[in-house]
Parts: sequence; C-alpha cells; structure tokens
Amino acid sequence: MSWHKQILRVNLTEGSCKIEPLNMEWANDYLGQRGLGSKYLFEEMDPSADALSPENKVIFATGPVTGTLASTSGRYSVITKGALTDAIACSNSGGKFGAELKFAGYDLLIIEGESEKPVYLHIEDDKVELCDASEVWGKTVWETEAILGKKYSDPLMRFASIGQAGENLCRYACVVNDLHRAAGRSGVGTIMGAKKIKTIAVRGTKGVKSPDPAGFFKLATEVNARMNDRDEMSRDGTLPMIDVTNSFGALPTRNNRSVRFEGTEKINAEAMHTPNANGHTNIVTNGACFGCTIGCGRICKIDPTHFSIKDKPQYHGASGGLEYETAYALGAACGVDDIDAATYVGFLCNEYGMDPISLGGTIAAAMELFDIGAISEKDTGGIKLEFGSAEALCAIGEITARNEGFGADIAMGSKRLCEKYGHPDLSMSVKGQEFAAYDGRGMQGMGLAYATSNRGACHLRADPYEHDFESTDVEGKALVVRDSQNEVAFIDSSGLCLFPGGCGWTINDYLELVNASCETEWTVDDVQTVGERIWNIERLFNIKAGLGRKDDTLPKRILEEPADVGTAKGLVCKLGDMLPEYYQLRGWNEEGEPTADTMNRLGL
Amino acid sequence: MQVSVKLFGGLRQYLPTGSAFNSCVLTVPDDSILTDVLSLLPIPEDKAFIALLNDVKLDKEAYADTLVSASDAIVLLPPIKGG
Ligand code: SF4
Repeated sequence: MSWHKQILRVNLTEGSCKIEPLNMEWANDYLGQRGLGSKYLFEEMDPSADALSPENKVIFATGPVTGTLASTSGRYSVITKGALTDAIACSNSGGKFGAELKFAGYDLLIIEGESEKPVYLHIEDDKVELCDASEVWGKTVWETEAILGKKYSDPLMRFASIGQAGENLCRYACVVNDLHRAAGRSGVGTIMGAKKIKTIAVRGTKGVKSPDPAGFFKLATEVNARMNDRDEMSRDGTLPMIDVTNSFGALPTRNNRSVRFEGTEKINAEAMHTPNANGHTNIVTNGACFGCTIGCGRICKIDPTHFSIKDKPQYHGASGGLEYETAYALGAACGVDDIDAATYVGFLCNEYGMDPISLGGTIAAAMELFDIGAISEKDTGGIKLEFGSAEALCAIGEITARNEGFGADIAMGSKRLCEKYGHPDLSMSVKGQEFAAYDGRGMQGMGLAYATSNRGACHLRADPYEHDFESTDVEGKALVVRDSQNEVAFIDSSGLCLFPGGCGWTINDYLELVNASCETEWTVDDVQTVGERIWNIERLFNIKAGLGRKDDTLPKRILEEPADVGTAKGLVCKLGDMLPEYYQLRGWNEEGEPTADTMNRLGL
Repeated sequence: MQVSVKLFGGLRQYLPTGSAFNSCVLTVPDDSILTDVLSLLPIPEDKAFIALLNDVKLDKEAYADTLVSASDAIVLLPPIKGG
C-alpha cells in the first residue's frame, strides 16, 4: 500500500507537533487528498466556526498515488473552511511540494489553533519543528523561498507559502508552492495568514513504498502510453480553450456583460508564441509538475520594455505565465487585451499569493461599478478603472497585493465589494467565489455545476464540457453534472491530476493506478460511490455551516439577462429547470439536504 | 466561390500548408454543401469536432443539407475539456 499510514498534527496554540496513525477506515471510504481531508475537517471542527478563528483547521492532504511513478502524481490539496466563501474549501496544487511531503513520511498534515507570533514549519523526515518566522514575515513567496532555501542549503527542500496577501487576510489569498504552483481558490492562504503560519518547508527521503514496485512500474509505463493525445497541451497548455469558448459564445467578458471578447487573438496561445513588434516572445518554455509527462505549465517572460515592468528588473526573468483561466480573468473579464499586462499581474499573484481568478473577477466587478458611477476616482485613489485599461489592471493588481488604499476593498472579493458599494448583483460569483472562465448561459451544464459546487463557482468540480458544447438544451445535464462531480471528486482524492483526462486517459486508467496503490479492486461503480460520499460529506459540512438551497444559485445577470452573441444568443441559464432534477438524482430533499436513505446508503 | 473556415485547438493540424494561424480559405463550386467544404480538410473520420455555421451549432446529420455561401462563418471546434 502506498500510504505511510501517518499524519502530522501541528497545534500552533500549543506549539506542538505530533505524529499520529492515519485513520485507515476513513482512507478506505474517502480515498485521500480532497476526500480524506474533508472527512477529517468535518469530524474535527465545528463547521459554523468563523473561518478566520483558531477553531478552523488547515489540512494539507496527499493522495495514495501522490509521489509514485505514475504520471501527474504530484498533486496535493489544502482543505479548510474558506475565507472567501465561508464554505468548505479544497484547493488542489501540483509542483513538487506534495510529493516531498509524502516522501517525508506523512499522508496528511493537520494545522490547528493559532500562533501568537509568525512561525513556519520545518520538516525533514521525522525531525519537525516550528520556527520563528520573523525573517520571512512581510516577504513575498519568492523571497521566502530564497531566504529559507539559502538557510537550509538544500536544493530539494520544497516550500508551500503565503505571501503578503495571506498575511493581510486578502479573502482570496492562496498557498503557493514551488514559486508558481498554487492551491489557489477560496482563500485557503488567508487561513494560514490568520493562524500566522508563513510557510511549510519540507524535505523527505523516505520515498513512497509500492506494494509491488516492479508491477507498479510496468503499470505506470503502460498507463502513461495510453495518454496519447498530449502534444497540444504540452505546446499550448490550457490556453486553446479561449478560442473555443470565444467562438462558442461562452467566454465571460467585461464582468459577463458579454460572452465573446474581441481581443481574444491578442491573448491566446498563438499570441503567446508570436513575437511582438519589439521581437519579444511571451513564452519561453513549458513546465511540468512532479512526475508529469504532459507539462502544461507556461514559463513566460514579459516584454522588458512594457510599461508595467520597464523600471522593475526583478520581473525581467521567466516565471509562471498565463493559462486559460488567468488569460480570462486578467484579460477578457476586464476587457484587457494586453498579454504583457495580464502576465505581469499573474506574476504578482504568484509573488504575493493571490488567486488570479478571484482577483480578475473582483477587478472586473469594480470596473463595472466604476462604469455605472457607483465608484469614482475618489474611491480608487485616482485610478481610472475603465474596462479595457491595462494600466488600471496593473495598478489595481499592485495595490491589492500590498493591501494599499482601494486595494483593501479589492482584497475583499467581488461579493463583499459589490455589497459595500450597493450593487450586490454585480458580483459574478457563487457562494462568494468568482466565476471561472465559462458562462452559464452558453454552457448550461456549467451553470448548474457552478451553482451546486460545494466550494463556490468552479470549473473543476464537474465535467460537463462535451455535453455543453454539444447542446444548450438542458435535458440530461443534471445527470451529467452529478456523475462527473462524483468522478472528479474521486480523481481529486487520488493524488493525480485531472488533465490527463483531456489527453487520452479514461476513468479506468485512474482506477488502475489507484487500485495498484491501495491494493483494492474498486470498479467504476465504486468510483461513483466514493465520489458521491465525498460530495455529500462536503455538502453536510456546508449545511452545518449554514449554507443550503438559497446558496445553490447564480447571479441575476446569468439567470435573467440573455447572452448577447454566439450559440446561446438570447438564452439565460435555465437553472430552475435543472436544479430540482439534480437534487432528486442526488437523493436530497427539496431543501438540498441528503435524505436519511442517502445517508444510510453512503454510510454517513 | 471561396469560403473561409476557422479551426481551433488540435484541429489546426488539419489546415492546408501555408494557412494562417487558425484559418484557411477554400475554393468550392457555388451551391456547395458543408460536407463538400469539410471534405477538403484531411480530418480523420474518427476525429470528433463541433461545427458552427454563423454561430449556430450544426448536428452532424445536417452537414449534407446545409448549403454554404461565401459570406458564411464556418468554425470547427475540438471537444476539449476545461482547465
Ligand atoms: S498536466 Fe499540468 S497541472 Fe497537471 S500535473 Fe502536469 S503540469 Fe501539472
């Protein structure tokens, strides 16, 4: 079995670090990562506690396949009650940190309580210590990695850190590992900031023991060969989607006022590969997480003559560049077609530890508030916050990262911002979390997936893509969303990445790797059962936190204002036609609560 | 007549040599149907795609009944997943 069967529990109030056995019964019922972390969180905290209080916990969870020879096995999740959403949060990241945590001998790391003074956690196998963080508190993620990297002089030490955004309790602060990989969504980094823990520095030498190393190597090689459609993702990452949604009419543009962005060709994959008038090309190379044979990461450089960085040589090097979601949030959502400006604000997000999707979504909402006169230059500190302004995007990105002036308002997220300025309907969010790069009118199934996502609007909690591009008719969407939510919950709990699913893998490929790692004989039916159990434990957490049917909804714009162009021209999202069927398929009552039968069937 | 076709994502590999990034102009007889246009692109039989004609998604069965004209916007999209 590829589990170490050990968790590390760190209590910041007491300053203690303890090793405990992993609850294997739970690991069998909930797998690892997202599922297991959610089960631990549900059992160990009162979901109604304030997200920023010491009662909240932060769980770093690996999966059974994390750190093995399987392709894309570098995944880990951060599970907590989200600062942005006040709902259960689970943010998934790649890079090399997750595998290193597993190599140190821990399947899960649970952080609880709250420290009086800033600390960081230093782990080298069995040696675990909480250290004074005064040398890195107030520093960026990049500076933190450099300072502590030098201190321990071990190039294989990995870090998962918050930047100043987390320290300042920006509601969508993320946890960044390996400089530009992030557990990005829902404000999981904010909770680390509230607990005053700056970084986890980990080095492990124990590896991961497979029950049958030679057999697993053979299997991993075979399954890797089945990923036979990966070239485009290696070349262009997730960016090709922007041309698809733009043509289809599902690319949220200018705070979802439109579903098509006229500037797409300036921020798409081709723009990234094409030299600009100065001969500068945005992309340098691709990058891969631990053990990944796809390498969807973008390593990019900003044109050094661009206004955003011409006097800032620290940004002249290559770092994590635009992906589809960031090109949408820092591009189309704000009406900005400047690839260098969007790349720069993306760099700031990695450096200061902010979720670019929520930052972009909140700036887009602020741009609309500015457009309708609800805020003015007096509020923004003189920034002309107009849709399409790359200068405004960069300026707001900078003051939000540093929590200065109007940046403190942007750091609240779009829901709180729009409420403050009297226009709550202008926040394009669900449960307080900003939309990802799909519009629920052009993609009706995605509308349902956003509305029902346990962590707020999210494009990675279901897989309705094929069905949505096939038809805008809502028939059958509730079933597609339910089944794919279950399947994604299973994959998110394995230690593997979702993206091989777009490069040739089917659920059977994931299943073979999980079975070999866990010594189980699960079938595709078990995938649905385990996934359903995970979905429901998250739902139960949210119900206890005070969420319910009223929160399974979409902004008025998506429900009442028809899409302006594309295949869904004239359509609104027909959520009301899908939600009752979805609840029924889930085995929930009309209030969206699991029935006694459902609870019994899933052993909840 | 000449019709312009846009291909996105992995479908771009089926553009004729010398095409722009994602589009090409194909010459077909007047009164051609969509099937005639598509037959000029070397897209394998088993490769799935979605065809849009002037922002309207067409079912596969409708390709043979759809007349195209020079002003039409034909777009072929791969059925990719999100990220
Ligand atoms: S496909 Fe991309 S996100 Fe997934 S593991 Fe590979 S590099 Fe990381």
